[in-house]
Amino acid sequence: MELDLFVRYGPALLHGFGITILCWIAGSLGGMALGFLIACIYQWSGRWIRGLLQAYIEIVRGTPFMIQLFILYYGGPHFGLLLSPVEAGIAGFVVYGSPYFAEIFRAGFASTPKGQFEAARCMGFSEWTIVRRIVLPQMLVSITAPLTNFVIILTKETAILSVVTVPELLYETQTMAAETFTYVEPFLVLSLFYWAMVEFTSWLGRRVELRVTRHLRRA
Amino acid sequence: MPDTATSAESIITVRGLGKRYGDFQALTGVDLDVRKSEVTCLIGPSGSGKSTLLRCMNFLEAYEEGEVRLDGELIGWQEGSSGPRRPLPGRRLREQRRHIGMVFQQFNLWPHMSALENVAEALVQVQGMTKAEANGRAMAALEKVNLKDKAGNYPSALSGGQQQRVAIARAIAMEPRVILFDEPTSALDPELVGEVLNVMKAMATEGMTMVVVTHEMGFAAHVASRVAFLDHGRLVACVPPPEIFGADPADPRIRSFLQTYRERNVV
Amino acid sequence: MDFSFSTITHNLPYLLAAARWTLIISFAGMLVGLGLGILVCAARLSRHRWLSSFAALYVSFFRGVPLLVQLLAFFYILPYAGIDLPATVAAFLSIGMCSAAYNAEILRGSLQAIPAGQKEAADALGIAPFALWRRILVPQALRIGLPSHVNELILLVKVSSLASVVGIGELTRVAQNITGQTYRPLEIYLAAACVYFVINAILAYAGRMAERRLNVGGA
Repeated sequence: MELDLFVRYGPALLHGFGITILCWIAGSLGGMALGFLIACIYQWSGRWIRGLLQAYIEIVRGTPFMIQLFILYYGGPHFGLLLSPVEAGIAGFVVYGSPYFAEIFRAGFASTPKGQFEAARCMGFSEWTIVRRIVLPQMLVSITAPLTNFVIILTKETAILSVVTVPELLYETQTMAAETFTYVEPFLVLSLFYWAMVEFTSWLGRRVELRVTRHLRRA
Repeated sequence: MPDTATSAESIITVRGLGKRYGDFQALTGVDLDVRKSEVTCLIGPSGSGKSTLLRCMNFLEAYEEGEVRLDGELIGWQEGSSGPRRPLPGRRLREQRRHIGMVFQQFNLWPHMSALENVAEALVQVQGMTKAEANGRAMAALEKVNLKDKAGNYPSALSGGQQQRVAIARAIAMEPRVILFDEPTSALDPELVGEVLNVMKAMATEGMTMVVVTHEMGFAAHVASRVAFLDHGRLVACVPPPEIFGADPADPRIRSFLQTYRERNVV
Repeated sequence: MDFSFSTITHNLPYLLAAARWTLIISFAGMLVGLGLGILVCAARLSRHRWLSSFAALYVSFFRGVPLLVQLLAFFYILPYAGIDLPATVAAFLSIGMCSAAYNAEILRGSLQAIPAGQKEAADALGIAPFALWRRILVPQALRIGLPSHVNELILLVKVSSLASVVGIGELTRVAQNITGQTYRPLEIYLAAACVYFVINAILAYAGRMAERRLNVGGA
């Protein structure tokens, strides 16, 4: 096994890893924000808007991430959306993740008993104050697990960004493999690396989950 | 029949109130006056519309016909010209609701806040008090319901009766003009009913205006100034308690309703 | 922006023809995934420690590594190991191996929902463990887990798009090829997205029908 390969391509691989992390974090945060927005609008709007949001959720969940990326990256210029690969990757992540995040938040809203909304409305709370002070703090316990779960799933989806030439870890590995005509070792090492990364984020996720729930349980 | 007293002394006036859920007519042409410093009890068989009537008073249920007024101000709808009524903007409705307290059957305390925080929350968020001011007022309210020593407890660490008393303190602290009670003791174990009713009795003595939907006929008979009897969404009578709980109530519907209680030796 | 519907109508037959391969890969992948998943699940629940640890490792690895990386590694390793397989077969084998990890976990969850009394009843009747699994436990578990397995199948339809990266002419790949000729990425990828969406909507509907039917039969 040619280990010096990894030394030679170390900087490139490291850079790729950085891009992977960047896309993952930016995409997760953006997707979470958009999902939260969708869930909020859903909660407080009428049938028509709800139908529209539901359609958005179903369509995004019913199509492959790769096709979504292609539409954004290659189709984007046709409606005036010119994105660099990394921008397209992050935007793709935001769109792709938003319906899943929205469903998690929606379930969180639904899990708050109706009476608690009523009690707050009776006292003259604004809807935003209700979300901020009553719903979110309670929801935190029930949504942390599915939220971290999905964020972990997104770690793996970063690999798909390589198909729109985002210079992330898989892309850099493929470049290295093509330039040196070695395929088996790099991909075995890459597999182990992703495995370790996912296991690590899972472990981190469980820690976060424990932390959040413990705080609220003690309180 | 509908109360015809002058509305000068009444805080809430209900006129021609109608509410339907799809095909079900929940309320029909209800007229009612809730007078200042009085306790008005709403009684009647289940499904008679008493809770709906109560929930129309703070617009938790949007009524379609008639009107509810608090000190002359129309609740929930925009005052004005003919044609379809438009609901008040959220901010105005919230402003109205600040003056109408409500206590629920299921308490509806917020489980992630201590008793004190439950009471103080709206004072900070809605009335804009500082935290210190709010805590002071909240403590005073908890003292009124004899729960000063439980201020730091979370709802899960309180009995049902204590939770309901916190909920009452939460309503009192807002210093509302009237407090609505929606079957406040129905979710409680029998031995805990008394402590809640005692707190309500004390509030009545202090002159708080209260509207109480209840199945506690003893409370209605002894504490209420007026008792309103509803049946099938209509107000049958709104009279002083003796006229209902006396030897021979005039209306056969009241008689048969009370009969079920007499059989169980409640009254 | 000009949107050319004629590009879509003109190329739709090619896309639909390619969708056949999408279906073949995902259904074959699901079959492999279910069959292998049952084995992995059985191993996971085995009393032999090394067997159950191996199964746990299997599940963790195949769920932890991005499928695209698995697919690429599989395609590079096969010739290295001297195995010659048609590309399509290699693709659904690889997808099936990954899916087995998920199906195994779904099965494990479903098996836990089966009352322990049934196993005791079978033991009392002297039914052998293998027969107990084949005749009693697995059929029930598949029924209990049906919604999750249908979800998994829908997921496979979406991830089958990854096979385009290793050159298999399924829906995404053919869409790419058509785009290369027509320079109309927006129209073509949107059309491809629609095809994916319709397939998944039909699968979801069929799943719900099957579920209702089984519930009626079970009750």
